[in-house]
Amino acid sequence: MSKTAEIVDDAERRHDLNQYLTFVLGRETFALGILSIKEILEYSAPTEIPMMPAFIRGVVNLRGAAVPVVDLCARFGRPSAAVTKKTCIVIVETRVEDESHVIGVVVDAVNEVLEIPGTEIEPAPSFGASIRADFIEGMGKVRGKFVIILAANRVLCVEEMEMLTHAAASGDVVQPAA
Amino acid sequence: MTDSALPTFIAESRELLREMEAALLECEQGETGAEAVNSIFRAAHTIKGSSGLFGLDGIVAFTHVVESVLDRVRANTLQMDRALAAILLECRDHIEHLVNAVADGKSDDVQLATRGESLLQKLSARAGGPAAAHTTASTTPVAPAAGHALWRIHVQFHAEVLRNGMDPLSFIRYLGTLGDIVALKLLTERLPGAEEFDAEACYLGFEIELASSESQQRIEAAFEFVRDDCTLQVRQKGTAASEVVADRREADTKESKASKSSDSRSLRVDGDKLDKLIDLIGELVTAGATTTITARKAGLSELNESTLRLARLVEEVRDQALKLRMVQIGPTFSRFQRIVRDVAREIGKEIRLETGGAETELDKTLIESITDPLTHLVRNAIDHGIETAEVRRSRGKNVEGVVRLDAYHDSGSVVIEVADDGGGLKRERIIAKAIERGLITDGSSLTDSEAFALIFEPGFSTAEQVTNLSGRGVGMDVVKRNVNALRGTVELDSKEGEGTTVRIRLPLTLAIIDGFLVGVGNSSFVIPLELVEECVELGDEHRSADGDQRYINLRGAVLPFVRLREMFSLRSSASRRESIVVIRCAGQRIGIVVDDLLGEMQAVIKPLSRLFSRIRGIGGSTILGTGQLALILDVTSLLDLCLNTRQTQAAPRRALMD
Repeated sequence: MSKTAEIVDDAERRHDLNQYLTFVLGRETFALGILSIKEILEYSAPTEIPMMPAFIRGVVNLRGAAVPVVDLCARFGRPSAAVTKKTCIVIVETRVEDESHVIGVVVDAVNEVLEIPGTEIEPAPSFGASIRADFIEGMGKVRGKFVIILAANRVLCVEEMEMLTHAAASGDVVQPAA
Repeated sequence: MTDSALPTFIAESRELLREMEAALLECEQGETGAEAVNSIFRAAHTIKGSSGLFGLDGIVAFTHVVESVLDRVRANTLQMDRALAAILLECRDHIEHLVNAVADGKSDDVQLATRGESLLQKLSARAGGPAAAHTTASTTPVAPAAGHALWRIHVQFHAEVLRNGMDPLSFIRYLGTLGDIVALKLLTERLPGAEEFDAEACYLGFEIELASSESQQRIEAAFEFVRDDCTLQVRQKGTAASEVVADRREADTKESKASKSSDSRSLRVDGDKLDKLIDLIGELVTAGATTTITARKAGLSELNESTLRLARLVEEVRDQALKLRMVQIGPTFSRFQRIVRDVAREIGKEIRLETGGAETELDKTLIESITDPLTHLVRNAIDHGIETAEVRRSRGKNVEGVVRLDAYHDSGSVVIEVADDGGGLKRERIIAKAIERGLITDGSSLTDSEAFALIFEPGFSTAEQVTNLSGRGVGMDVVKRNVNALRGTVELDSKEGEGTTVRIRLPLTLAIIDGFLVGVGNSSFVIPLELVEECVELGDEHRSADGDQRYINLRGAVLPFVRLREMFSLRSSASRRESIVVIRCAGQRIGIVVDDLLGEMQAVIKPLSRLFSRIRGIGGSTILGTGQLALILDVTSLLDLCLNTRQTQAAPRRALMD
């Protein structure tokens, strides 16, 4: 790659780094860095996987691959919202070391893509936020209001979710549903 | 020679070395047939020839001596016996090391060279020296008085040779392996003046006098790779070729013809290309299913007919494509001959490996993934299974222990057995150990097979002493995990004093299965078709009694059943009609209660995300013609799940499995 291309690429990347997708969950607005987002799908009911915790809605067919779908409300310990016309599935790619995972996230509505410069991002409060502190990357100031920028790698941490699904699956074994 | 050809050379050499090993092991067991000797000789000869082309002098020199000895065996002037076979086996290993060194890009390893020297000394001590080998070889009745005919070779390389990636020198080097180069004259007439000189063009020619007992054909064959890029003349000078030489030439031609015809029937294909093809066929199957459904909805009979024909063709294409990936397990089994021989020697036991079902075919990726677990089981059988010679004698058994590898097809899956006629498992010792390790609290209620299953638990090892080979406490659980990862199962039979048999059951392929689609509420599930025996309707008397009775009378036999809806806690309410799908799995018959029977389908297996790695009862997912996903039932683990549920209901205690 030539030097100029590299610089352009770099600038573009820095530009992208400041871009966020905002979306609504319940009555709150959240944001995710645009680089981790692959695409946004219209909501279609996922295929349910038995014996999974509530935050796993199931799997959807994304051009021939089975992609798991996570209900963010349930993941944050809130009741799930009803599916409306605005409900979407945001496909997110997380990267842990060399392994990449593609996971779908159910959100109530997608708002916009906007730029939040680094100077406009405050660190996460140590308490007082409505969700686990380690899920928060920072608090972005948008038009005088705070939006919670999510840390995709921790919210969608496959190891953690795997442990939770395992616990749910074996829990069902000990106490079979009658 | 181009570097791009080197990987082919390495792959081919390794294959030849495997053949050589198999044949040598045959010889070592005293079954020295002409075919075996020929195949050993051919392997050595080909490796020598090819490495000459690459200028790998180390391999050429070493292999040449081995080849000369083999030539004498072939001519019956040297007797092949156990000792010679053992030395040749070591030589084979050394060639393999040399080839590996080339593969790693370290062809001038001093240590390897010294080891080669000492091996050659050993070989010449047994067979009478490399030099002697030479002279005797030429005085054998096969090629008497061939006395190194003198050949005049005139070769003019074309200008393009270097640009095509050929090194003229390598061919001359290779000639050196066919005989002695008596004289060499460089032809420089075509060299242009300095200003016209193109550094990338070849202007040189050679006139070579070669003293060799080889045929004209063989000498010409040395230039095979540049046949189109040079003008070649090979003439015999001086000594007349005797009739016998002519005979030999004929024999050689026959031989090369024979090997050529078998070559042309098989084709080396990159594994990735095959995988890509299978992927595409998977997509084709899914797309075909969508078309069939659409056609049915459209209600055009002509369209329906043509989609049916298409579906049948796609099915055939799929079967053929999957067959491309199927390989026989025989070569994998024969690799164990060597392991058994070496390990048995190391620990001083007399053990023979018997194999059966070598022609059983299974998916190539399966074979690759199963080799490690198999190696572990075989080593275990040798180390812990088979008793020492004294014990065997005192028990009135044959001193020589037998390890047996078997493979066969059984109702849609492949079974691989590792059996030994050793001491067998001691139930009490296993239970004592399991209690000591805290795996169970009381073993009295366990059946034999439950007790034996304990050895597959993590951290369990019954070996009293840790040996070099196995018994570090890691092992059987890893075997089980590896096999489970391939959607397979492991079971174990043992009789104290008579031996142990470990049975690995694997699916035929990993990519596509024939499935039976069933519906429960809004969900669809796929049951592997080969497990389905029949479908019957669930009578009303069983439907109302949602209580204790979970079995029906199926033509006089008791058939226990599970309701998929309850098993998977599906939220939908029961439908008006329910059916039982009767399934046979691992020797048991169970019924699975579902709402709808939706018919047969080809299911392309789509693996589920790692998120679901611990899920039980489900083996993967597949895409239906409608684009919806359906889950594929993993009947074996589903059965496990039922059994565990029963046990926990009957008497709550720690689940044995997992």
